[in-house]
Amino acid sequence: MKKKILTAAVVLAILAVVISNVHIQSVDEYYLEHAEDIKEDSETVYLTIRCDTVFDNMDKLDDNVKKYIPDDGIILEKTEYVLRNGDTVFDILQRAARINKVQMEYEGADNNVYGTVYIEGINYLYEFSCGELSGWMYMVNGEFLRYGCSNYILKDGDEIVWLYTCNLGEDVKEKEQFNETEE
Amino acid sequence: MKQKNEIFATYHPVGLFLYFISVILITMFSTNPVMLSIALIFGMLFILVITDLKKFLKGLAVEIPFILVITVTNPLFSHNGVTVLFFLNGNPVTLEAILYGMDIGVMIFAVIYWCKAYNAIIDDEKFIYIFGKTIPKLSLVMSMALKYVPMLKRQYMVMNDARKCMGCCNEDTLLDRVKNKLTVFSMLVTWSFETSLDTAVSMKVKGYGLKGRTHFHNFRFGYRDAILIIITVIMDVVVLWGMTTGVTDFKFYPEILKNKVTVSVMTVYVSFAILMSIPAFIEIKEKIKWKYYVEKI
Repeated sequence: MKKKILTAAVVLAILAVVISNVHIQSVDEYYLEHAEDIKEDSETVYLTIRCDTVFDNMDKLDDNVKKYIPDDGIILEKTEYVLRNGDTVFDILQRAARINKVQMEYEGADNNVYGTVYIEGINYLYEFSCGELSGWMYMVNGEFLRYGCSNYILKDGDEIVWLYTCNLGEDVKEKEQFNETEE
Repeated sequence: MKQKNEIFATYHPVGLFLYFISVILITMFSTNPVMLSIALIFGMLFILVITDLKKFLKGLAVEIPFILVITVTNPLFSHNGVTVLFFLNGNPVTLEAILYGMDIGVMIFAVIYWCKAYNAIIDDEKFIYIFGKTIPKLSLVMSMALKYVPMLKRQYMVMNDARKCMGCCNEDTLLDRVKNKLTVFSMLVTWSFETSLDTAVSMKVKGYGLKGRTHFHNFRFGYRDAILIIITVIMDVVVLWGMTTGVTDFKFYPEILKNKVTVSVMTVYVSFAILMSIPAFIEIKEKIKWKYYVEKI
């Protein structure tokens, strides 16, 4: 009898912990969030998400994903977002994805050895979707940083670009430098 | 030794081994839900035919919750998919992820059933017959390792009963019981060392693995074995062709697209179904024959 009560209590406690930590939202509820209004004195950053390297590697691209690639390769156009105190590159990406209803999947900082969030896919375009060397990378003010995206704290006026690489970063690096000299 | 009633077990080991290896490997490496369902249905059918219903249902009671757990777990870790059902702690739970979880559950389920079938059909004798000549040491170790846990379990019961019979175990308190278990366990370890040494010495004395040594066996390679091997190889080639050229590819992410029903896809499915149905077909045919003969008497 004592044993039964004890097990029941343990099960109840586990259930209570699980239920208190589960937060269910419907799809509409989740996307209800609006962009914070940009005031004159608010600090802002810019964010772009592009995947134009995919067009050079169409043969490697997963057939099912093709439908979801925008024609110009721009998933999110350059937009200004309000920078809250201590926001990292990841925070801005997450907020932007939510405001613009873009699908995004990440692996949390506590789940991997690098201690930073890893972006697995944006807009159904995932790592390895376009060959074995493909994945998402980011650039702040035209430079690829040696930080995880949730470890880099942004400053006012920073310009973030998320880029999809099909060749471990070589292709995007070439392309970005080429663009710079052109300008 | 347990007497085998399965007619499929009387086939030649080489054909049986080839059959099971190809079936299990194909099931393991495919994600196509149609193929996995075929594998699961025929695997279950075969197990149902060779075991009694009660045991079968008992197994099912353990395995169905297992599938459900896998189905529920996948969407917690995979958020890809177009059809978002709801958001859980800020992450989407999608229909595609749930279906993919179910698919993986079915795959594991099917592999478990085919491994059960393998265990029922291929025993130590067959295994040693196939590999005893080419890799004698490894096959002996494998066959010893595979029977190790059941053997220890059996011996544990025997030792425990013997001690109880002698009346030398006081089971009043938890401490006593633990002490008893520890004693039996230490006996068990010693005994298993001794047995494995005995086995090794005995095999050496018998000249196991020496050149020119033959094994006694009752296996005969007949017409039906040749037919089994030929069918297995042909169906394997068709199915593997389908899997490598991407005919049977089935993608869950980001959206499940209905595969077009083409001749090549149907060919692969039908040949896979033929491959999977062989053991169940043979067993059922034999049962019907047996019943018919009994009625005639």
